[in-house]
Amino acid sequence: MEKRRTPRRTSGALAKQIEEAKSRVAPLLPDMDPGDLDLIISSLLRPFGNGRRFFLRQVKPGVYVF
Amino acid sequence: MSSDEAFVLAVLAALKHVRLEAIVVGNVAAILQGAPVTTQDIDLLVRDTVGNRRKIGALGRALGSRPRPISPLTDSLRIDAPAGTVDLLFDHLPGRFSFQSLRARALQLDLAGSEAWVARLEDVIASKEAANRPKDRAQLAALRDTLRVKAALEAPAKPKKR
Repeated sequence: MEKRRTPRRTSGALAKQIEEAKSRVAPLLPDMDPGDLDLIISSLLRPFGNGRRFFLRQVKPGVYVF
Repeated sequence: MSSDEAFVLAVLAALKHVRLEAIVVGNVAAILQGAPVTTQDIDLLVRDTVGNRRKIGALGRALGSRPRPISPLTDSLRIDAPAGTVDLLFDHLPGRFSFQSLRARALQLDLAGSEAWVARLEDVIASKEAANRPKDRAQLAALRDTLRVKAALEAPAKPKKR
């Protein structure tokens, strides 16, 4: 079996960090959609190299894939 | 690491290899600062000099494709590398940003050990507001929200009442 590159506790720690940030920031931004806030905080706190996709690629006119 | 992140690192390595000073602008700059958006290419702002034009040729060779004009309406160049697309913009961005002014405010980010000069999110937003194309307007809400969340995260926590 291939060895895991990232220990499980890293993703758990990151998830906890995201939850803490959300609970701290949500009262400061009451007009922001909770789903949007969740997405932005997750994007902000995930370090580079965490598997983020940046690019949409056009495979044919009108058809894009990640 | 995703193939997109690996492509960003490959571009940074190629820039270093050919010694081309460039600022990451546009949506990749925004993504690197946490904006939940996507794009079709990496936009780089460079100075328009004879030396840099030569280095851009070398950059194309390093990335596996020859730089070509994007369209007759612009002097920007595009490198369609096998792993992704790099657009090279010269000297200015919409919003009266010169290379120097953008560089003076840019962030120096360490991306998995590679150094990148990245336009500040505030400047990416101002540039997109000035460009005012439909695709810019479509992304602005997410970029502005990201800036608001960043500011809220950086705000000092209020002391708890006793």
